Amino acid sequence: MRIRTFRKLCRDAIQNISRNRVMSLASIIAVMSALFILGAILVLAFNLNHIAGGIESKIEITAFLDPSVDNPKAEAIVEELKRLDGVYEIEYISKEEGLAEWKRDLGDKGDLLDGYMGQANPLPDKLILNIENPEYVEDIIMKLDAMPRVDKVNYSKEVVDTIGRVANIIRTAGLIMVILLVILAMIIINNTIRMTVYSRRREINIMKYIGATDSYIRWPFILEGLILGLVAALFAGGLVFGGYILLLNKSGTMFGGSSLLNLFRLLPVEAVMYDIGLVFLLVGTGVGVIASALSVRKHLRV
Amino acid sequence: MIQFKNVTKIYPDGTKALSDISFNVGSGEFVFLVGASGAGKTTAVKLITKEIEPTQGGVSVNGRDITKLKKREIPHHRRGLGVVFQDFRLLPDKTIYENVAFAMEIVEARDRDIRRQVPGILAMVGLGSKADCFPDQLSGGEQQRASLARAIVNNPSVLLADEPTGNLDMETAMDIMKVINMINHRGTTVIMATHAGEIVNAMKKRVITFKKGVIISDREKGGYYNED
Repeated sequence: MRIRTFRKLCRDAIQNISRNRVMSLASIIAVMSALFILGAILVLAFNLNHIAGGIESKIEITAFLDPSVDNPKAEAIVEELKRLDGVYEIEYISKEEGLAEWKRDLGDKGDLLDGYMGQANPLPDKLILNIENPEYVEDIIMKLDAMPRVDKVNYSKEVVDTIGRVANIIRTAGLIMVILLVILAMIIINNTIRMTVYSRRREINIMKYIGATDSYIRWPFILEGLILGLVAALFAGGLVFGGYILLLNKSGTMFGGSSLLNLFRLLPVEAVMYDIGLVFLLVGTGVGVIASALSVRKHLRV
Repeated sequence: MIQFKNVTKIYPDGTKALSDISFNVGSGEFVFLVGASGAGKTTAVKLITKEIEPTQGGVSVNGRDITKLKKREIPHHRRGLGVVFQDFRLLPDKTIYENVAFAMEIVEARDRDIRRQVPGILAMVGLGSKADCFPDQLSGGEQQRASLARAIVNNPSVLLADEPTGNLDMETAMDIMKVINMINHRGTTVIMATHAGEIVNAMKKRVITFKKGVIISDREKGGYYNED
């Protein structure tokens, strides 16, 4: 195709959009609404996934070290354990710290432990391993059990299993919603574009009769689909992100500094923006273009 | 120029629109295809534009058997024909100028040529002052003039007109006929399907009369006969 021709086709596409203002606007609003709903669900799904990850990261394994292990050796063990898959944080609590903590927990009755200070401290040093997600737990337990300097390993299988299950349910629910909404958005966009093309089937027919080639007829419609999809995606993106920023501001003041609720803190807007923006562009313009091409083809058979 | 050779057309629903008809139209001729509705004249026009295929027989235009054209050759075939219809078929979202220019754009004419040629053609059909109007701002007669301008802007060798005056009053119709006659005088072959007897009688051109899918008469400087 010559550049001159392509320029004309682009001009035709833009002219068609502006001269079919009402239909164009209706299409943009319909596509934008579909994308907006999809975006809202995506934001929800991303946050659910984040929450599921947060719940999973609450899995802890406590390893008590052999009393013979001194400080430098303990550090070597920490280094070794850090290399294990799935371990993202290790907290080393020396027996002194352990005792102090215990004392604090006892409050007024803390004096009872006074006799155990120093050499008399019966507590072992301990390591608290934070695990990324439940599937690593068994392996890590096995490795800990095999380590001669680790005396005892503590964890709750039930808690680990429950956390794994809850996280999976949350993720699956999010994924199903997203898939359904993507399909729904595609159907809505497809129908909208087909309608705009259908309303101009006569025009397509006329072009055929005066000898326009199929591709000459098709291109302005494809470009129109692209432009309508793009504009709708931009508006939908603005609405979703604007809405999300508002929600973030509200939720920030709502949760305050509570650490438990930190788990349910919303993701920052940067964390969701790029993925959702990409989905909007792909779904909006992709479906716009494909739907245009397919529905024009149907009317080209003359 | 245009040749129908033993053409039969049976539509998918079983209607036999043409049965075994043959005729020739020479270069530069002006021919009326007349007959009542359903006589087969529109079918003949559609066969020339290759909108439909004959069930049997051959149709050739400029010596080429168009039944053998490949799908991708059809647009080029149609560009060699100027076609006007009873319902004008102008692009509603384009101005009259753009409608005519569009026919040149699809053949990838230069902008300079388009700018030079379109106003001339519009002036020729009497629409010089209406170039920037949209089709729905024009009267039926004006729309048909615009459609004629579009049909001839690429200098086709044949102008096909299917009931071009069907939606117009007698006076307007005669004006349109003057334009078509002028186009014929420029050397363009004109084939016009119509059942407007008055017009046919006034023009005194060759008349091919169809009845129930067969040609019942073909006369030079003929008139419109009521076949019944």
